[in-house]
Amino acid sequence: MSLLIGTFTIGCILSLLALGVFISFRIFAFPDITADGSITLGASVAATLLVRGVSPPLASLAGFFAGMLAGACTGTLHTRFKINPLLSGILVMTALYSINLHIMGKSNVPLLSVTTIVTQSEHIGMKLMRGATSFNLAGWEVSVRDASVLGAILWAVALTGGLLYWFFRTNLGMAMRATGDNVQMIRALGVNDANMIVFGVAISNGLVALSGALLAQYQGFADVGMGIGMVVWGLASVIIGEALVGTNQLGLTLSGTVMGSVLFRLLVAVALRWGLSPNDLKLITAGFVFCALIVPQFLRKKWPRSAHA
Amino acid sequence: MLEVHAVSKTFHSGTPNEVRSLRGVNLDLAAGSWVIIIGTNGSGKSTLLNAVAGTFLVDEGNIRLAGRDVTRWPEHARAALIGRVFQNPFSGSSPSLTIQENLSLAARRGLSRGLGWGLKESLVARMRDEVGRLNMGLENRLENAIGSLSGGQRQALTLLMATWLCPELLLLDEHTAALDPKSADLVIALTEHVVARDQLTTLMVTHSMHQAASLGDRLIMMHRGQIIHDFRGAEKRRLRLDDLLARFEEVRRAEQLDESAAQMLAEKYI
Repeated sequence: MSLLIGTFTIGCILSLLALGVFISFRIFAFPDITADGSITLGASVAATLLVRGVSPPLASLAGFFAGMLAGACTGTLHTRFKINPLLSGILVMTALYSINLHIMGKSNVPLLSVTTIVTQSEHIGMKLMRGATSFNLAGWEVSVRDASVLGAILWAVALTGGLLYWFFRTNLGMAMRATGDNVQMIRALGVNDANMIVFGVAISNGLVALSGALLAQYQGFADVGMGIGMVVWGLASVIIGEALVGTNQLGLTLSGTVMGSVLFRLLVAVALRWGLSPNDLKLITAGFVFCALIVPQFLRKKWPRSAHA
Repeated sequence: MLEVHAVSKTFHSGTPNEVRSLRGVNLDLAAGSWVIIIGTNGSGKSTLLNAVAGTFLVDEGNIRLAGRDVTRWPEHARAALIGRVFQNPFSGSSPSLTIQENLSLAARRGLSRGLGWGLKESLVARMRDEVGRLNMGLENRLENAIGSLSGGQRQALTLLMATWLCPELLLLDEHTAALDPKSADLVIALTEHVVARDQLTTLMVTHSMHQAASLGDRLIMMHRGQIIHDFRGAEKRRLRLDDLLARFEEVRRAEQLDESAAQMLAEKYI
């Protein structure tokens, strides 16, 4: 049971990453791989601040803003200097590797003896349960610590998702969605599309970095290599989410992305349980995304009409 | 209202593909006038429209709009003064957004966009009203993605979007060319209604000689990046379909004469 709750918790934490990837890849059609660097950036900023005794919510928020800054750099490289989106992302991601090392001062910062969002929510959970260490949920023995961490993360994800849903329906948010959809039209309606892209990629990377900040606190350390392959991971979640909801309505796609992330984490946990070597994980993930990208094309070729309908 | 002065534009300058699209074009539009532009393929009609809209910056000359010199303004800044409908019915709206979201984007053309709620109730009520007047039954489908509509429906909505906030200048770039005849008639009727209602200064490019003869109060014919005819007032009203076709024939003959003359000279002397 503890394993299942842990899987859910990590799935929820990484759903923020998936939401970030969703914004850049789907809303802006901007293949942004800065995320590999900004998830570590969020983790390293938050971890360094936590070690210095900064309050956990504040440290996580600082991670979010650091991520926004990184995203704004990528967006500016693309819009101001006309560098290809992929290359802009690669440049910033590469630069972030050194920056992350500078922030942490070493390649790994442990968070075992500091106050984090995890210890705080455990503390609150214990208080609510008046000192009990476990409770019974439908016949399962559930540890109060695990449940309260999951509760806190769920609350954070719901809050973020709600904020995004609201934001993308404001005047500014709608202009951003339309920018990825039809640049010609949005210019003709008086929107500076370059600003929209910079801001959008910034928000995307802010979410990714927040996800990194929470992940570091959950797993108890920030590591300079923790971001490798995270864009693909996020993309896999987005694709699963799209398959789950199968529509392009904003609210559904956002929640689909979160569900996709949790489901993907569950699948991974099951695969690992069945004896998949953790070393093969990224290979399998890449293979999965590859299949998800080509299968629709293949189906369209084979059955043009049914796939169209 | 609109003053285009000695505007030139050359594309692919300095390469074998060099195209001199606009050669010193002068055009003066009075407020409230509706000017039709016709011309052969590659005559620079659409280029002139795009130069005014700011899709690119012109090489020479200047453009004044509503008393302001907009020659160096980027496209999105000029959009505060200009409403546009494109030839491609899919260019004017955002397919994955709903009808009402598209309209609400148009309702803030050229205005600042902050964190205000995009779909205010009063705005949606006006949408239902105006979309209902299109007689397309779309007023009950405001929450459908606009990508699910036909080209004619999307073009009608684009026209509604372009004129939602009364623009200083309305640019119509062959906006019925890609539609079936029935939808084209519908969009033209809608155009006439809106332009007359709001007294819009309008610049319209068309391929249809029929539209050119029947619409607008002034007609300009372009050829090779220059304005070669300018009919206004009574002269424009007298203009019939046959007159226009005759003018085109004239242009064609002149071209042919040039070519055959050149060929003859080449045969004789080379």
